[in-house]
Amino acid sequence: MVYVPDNPLSHVLAVLATDYTDVDTTIATREEEAFGIAAGLHLGGARPTVMLQSSGLGNSINALTSLIVPYQLPMLVVISMRGDAGEWNAAQVPMGRAVRSILEALTIPYASPASAGDVEATVASLGRTAFGTRHVGACLLPRRVTMPTETKEPR
Amino acid sequence: MTRLEATHVVVGAVDAGTPVIASLGHPAYDLFAVGDRPTNFYTWGSMGLASSIGLGLAMVRPDLHVVVVDGDGSLLMNLGSLATVGWRRPERLIVIVWDNEAYATTGGQDTATKHGADLAAAARAMGVTQAVTVRETHDLGAALNRARREPGPWVIVAKVQESPPTGKPPLDCVFIKQRFMEAIGRPEAATQGESA
Repeated sequence: MVYVPDNPLSHVLAVLATDYTDVDTTIATREEEAFGIAAGLHLGGARPTVMLQSSGLGNSINALTSLIVPYQLPMLVVISMRGDAGEWNAAQVPMGRAVRSILEALTIPYASPASAGDVEATVASLGRTAFGTRHVGACLLPRRVTMPTETKEPR
Repeated sequence: MTRLEATHVVVGAVDAGTPVIASLGHPAYDLFAVGDRPTNFYTWGSMGLASSIGLGLAMVRPDLHVVVVDGDGSLLMNLGSLATVGWRRPERLIVIVWDNEAYATTGGQDTATKHGADLAAAARAMGVTQAVTVRETHDLGAALNRARREPGPWVIVAKVQESPPTGKPPLDCVFIKQRFMEAIGRPEAATQGESA
């Protein structure tokens, strides 16, 4: 699993560190680098996941369009959303609004869990399709799932 | 030395079973022309990511030497990769950088290495202690021999003169990938439905 850190994803990382020690995690300096590393992981026979904040999708587009999609490199992508309901930072909103349109333009299927209890099934089905069809599958984690108690600006 | 001459040195030094990841454009064209092998992975896009692809492969296949043939302009686009390589430190990763001080594939515009940027020094500063700059073919051969014997990761910056590319790899990205994966012993299984 290759990622660029995001606060909501830190909970996922904590669970991976304690309960899934067989999952190797690597921090990349930038999201397109993460996709490059993930490409190499697949070439070596692994099943890679890339985790990033929605803002990082903008840093990833050339890697997706000129490497991951044309070479049919399967991977699961987990995107923690910013700029959706509950957002306080105006600089996060434009990309947050654009994520779905960008994924559709790139022909990347995505799904978003309705609730925390739905995350596991969503990730599992996206992963099955991604690795079964040699494509990317993106799970969008909305703020209402990742930050349910955050309703105001951070202190 | 020209990039073509230097590519001959690399192909001659690398075992047939060793994967080589080639950056798009002239590095990939020369690698194909000098020695097309199933173990060559040619990129046709994603400028800057060759060293990242090599890092990922080296992490999951520590039993293999993994060679990357990058360009100065490409590595400059993804300098953060050096920091990640310097952190993860896969011992058998060998990143070769053809440094012609130009964006040769796009018409020969200057890169920053023509004006003082030192990619081997950058690698060392990022924790890749085995980083050297070479200027002659015999020095490149000696550096490759060291890199195959001594734990890396290695960054070998080869100062090269531009030479006209003499071939182009196949354009079929999926063919390149599947040929490569089979050649390194990780064939991509056919996709299968879960019910008939």
